[in-house]
Amino acid sequence: MNHLLLGSAGEKHLLLGNEAIVRGALEAGVNFVSCYPGTPSSEVPDTFRRLAASGRFVFEYSVNEKVALECAAGAALSGALCLVTMKHVGVNVAADPLLTMTYTGLPGGLVLLSADDPGCHSSQNEQDNRIYARFAGMPCFEPASALECKEMTTAALRLARESGQPVMLRTTTRVNHLRGPVRFGPLPEPAPIVPFVRDPGRFVPVPAVARARHRASAANLERICALSEESPFNRVSGEGDIGIIASGISRAYLHDALPSVGPEPQVRVFDLGMSWPLPEKTLENFMRRIRVLLVLEEGEALLEHATNALAHKLSLPVEVRGKGGSLEIFGEYSVPQVRSALWPLLGLREERQAPAPPEALPGRPPNLCPGCAHRSAFYAARKVFGDEAFYSSDIGCYTLGLLPPLRAADFLFCMGSSISAGSGFARFGKTVVAFIGDSTFFHSGLTGLVNAVFNKHNILVVILDNRTTAMTGHQPNPGVDQDILGADCTHLDIESAVRGCGVTRAVRAGGYNQKRLIALLEEMKRETGVRVLIVEEPCVLYARRVLKKKHGQRAQVARQDSVAAECLETLACPAFFRTGEKCGVNPEQCTGCMVCVQTSPSFKAQKGEDQ
Amino acid sequence: MSGAMRIYLTGVGGQGTLTATTLLARAAVECGLEVVSGEIHGMAQRGGIVESTVLLGGFQSPTIRPGEADLMLGFEALESLRAVPYLAPGAGAVCSVDFIPPPSVSMGRERLPDVEEVKEKIRRAAGRVLFLSINELGRRAGAVRSGNSALLGAACARGFLPFGPEVLRGVIRKYLPPADAEINLRALDLGAEQTKPAV
Repeated sequence: MNHLLLGSAGEKHLLLGNEAIVRGALEAGVNFVSCYPGTPSSEVPDTFRRLAASGRFVFEYSVNEKVALECAAGAALSGALCLVTMKHVGVNVAADPLLTMTYTGLPGGLVLLSADDPGCHSSQNEQDNRIYARFAGMPCFEPASALECKEMTTAALRLARESGQPVMLRTTTRVNHLRGPVRFGPLPEPAPIVPFVRDPGRFVPVPAVARARHRASAANLERICALSEESPFNRVSGEGDIGIIASGISRAYLHDALPSVGPEPQVRVFDLGMSWPLPEKTLENFMRRIRVLLVLEEGEALLEHATNALAHKLSLPVEVRGKGGSLEIFGEYSVPQVRSALWPLLGLREERQAPAPPEALPGRPPNLCPGCAHRSAFYAARKVFGDEAFYSSDIGCYTLGLLPPLRAADFLFCMGSSISAGSGFARFGKTVVAFIGDSTFFHSGLTGLVNAVFNKHNILVVILDNRTTAMTGHQPNPGVDQDILGADCTHLDIESAVRGCGVTRAVRAGGYNQKRLIALLEEMKRETGVRVLIVEEPCVLYARRVLKKKHGQRAQVARQDSVAAECLETLACPAFFRTGEKCGVNPEQCTGCMVCVQTSPSFKAQKGEDQ
Repeated sequence: MSGAMRIYLTGVGGQGTLTATTLLARAAVECGLEVVSGEIHGMAQRGGIVESTVLLGGFQSPTIRPGEADLMLGFEALESLRAVPYLAPGAGAVCSVDFIPPPSVSMGRERLPDVEEVKEKIRRAAGRVLFLSINELGRRAGAVRSGNSALLGAACARGFLPFGPEVLRGVIRKYLPPADAEINLRALDLGAEQTKPAV
């Protein structure tokens, strides 16, 4: 097969950080890749998916991060060189196996890509997963450019294979989604498979084994620490008695924040690319030459605490400056923030004109698409339950249902929490409607559903089955019947799964069928116990792009009256518009779902050509 | 860093702003310029704002903060106005005059600023500006979405970028599927022909 990422050594291409990670893994000879998609990591597995036909590696979209990591760990025990990818919160899901596989070690080699999201660009929190590297006992690499994404992925996989210790490749949104030039190295044959030697005294961590393996893992990390001292990714440069240590994307901010004109600034810089285990000896030498140390790290003050502790232990007269002023634990750093912390140290004054203040302009929040069946389901639920029910939401496009007028989200924690948190919420005399998507249901909704049945909870679960993982770019999941590349998938039937969990009250309804949705919700409102309504309609984008679905009609406003206006206000489809008192439907945006026609007598269908 | 230039691109999800960003960055690579580019994915395809960056001449950070952009490429009028605080003093701006109304506007709850007001405010903040209707140019080229290439063509031809339209032409041929490439090349030429003098 022919693909840019399969190019020859010496070629130079502009790559997305995530694409460079793929190339780096190929250059290490990766044998197995598993993942659960999630922004900002998704382009890594999606690119592997496109390259899978090359036959160089085995690839899978797993049902959740724990399963992805366990599959890869199994493959690594079986001798394969493995990469597992996920977003930062996914590592929480995978934490259970993670914290034990670092004890046993994995002879084939395993690298975990943790794509963190400081600033919460598309996440429910901004946790700093460098903590996991320390917690689990994993060496950690933190690239800051596209080229480093490639090089560090290769280095991380090689280290994982050589040491048997699982390794973390930790990125942040800016790194995953930057583009830069990358020069390719040679593309070797896939790595040889390491034979598995039975050794229950190592691989079955009963307490006696676990205690011994904890020590073995620590000793392994100690050996890796010596490598960290020599790592080409840990570089010291410059001179003077002012020191800066920087990790991750902060290294790029530092580079751009150093004065570009005038004399070369007198600073010593410690570029920390391999950030765990800390190269303490090199760091000590560095700190013996400075009197002030500025620590540049987004997120938690980990390096700051570590360097402070080192200074204290060695009685070094170094003043460590980290969080404080423009450098916070919240959000992302930036060049101006780094400059504000750095320039006063160098005796420089910033002369920056304050930029124009932002104007109050109409906002443009992300919205459910025209023709999205989630809107139809939310509309029906609001119509039947109004404010009587509390809406337990989950992770996916449908979280956007929180916006008025649908207001279909009252609380949310994480993937799969809708059913279990909703169950608990309902225990205290409240009516709960939980919304969960198909991919999220398979990810971690199933366990909550089993629990709800077992513990006789009182909850109405609406499974929004759009046949794809829409939010992250239409990756397949077990509920998919045709995947985005046209290959056949094994289809798991949601209703059978629901019934298999012991639910006796489960019904399916078409996502655009308002009459049926409302009738079923009315019925279920009168009932108690675990009730499941499966709302089926392919994601409208997916239907158009992948399923090539055509629609032969469009909606239009037939009567300009208060009824039409009310539909505009309550259904709020982005295809609706208003000019003065006049209501209308934009024919270029209307997908022909006809939900408005069903809900309002002032709308009518009109035959329309397909675009 | 001589020849350093920070380019801020802004538009609306679904417009193809990120494709335009990548074309621009690839053109810079073809010219042997040092380049880093940035974008944020995720919620953007749901009709939200799409902001991206291309930094030329030796930057390592892919981000641009308010007051730092040397050039703004605005693919939608409201988003161009929203991005004005990003402009550095004396910056260039090449912007579309076409609006894509956000829901609050189409529903009549809020109003769009007048296009003349948008132009005036951009003109006041930037040193050098060029306005064009990318919808019209795109339509003339064969697809509204190709209007992005018209904007890039105009920016190149009018000297806002350190390379001419011929570099972009090569990149479009190399990286877009043949059918799209043809339309985008037409759009690029239409943009490059925009003779209205920059103000």
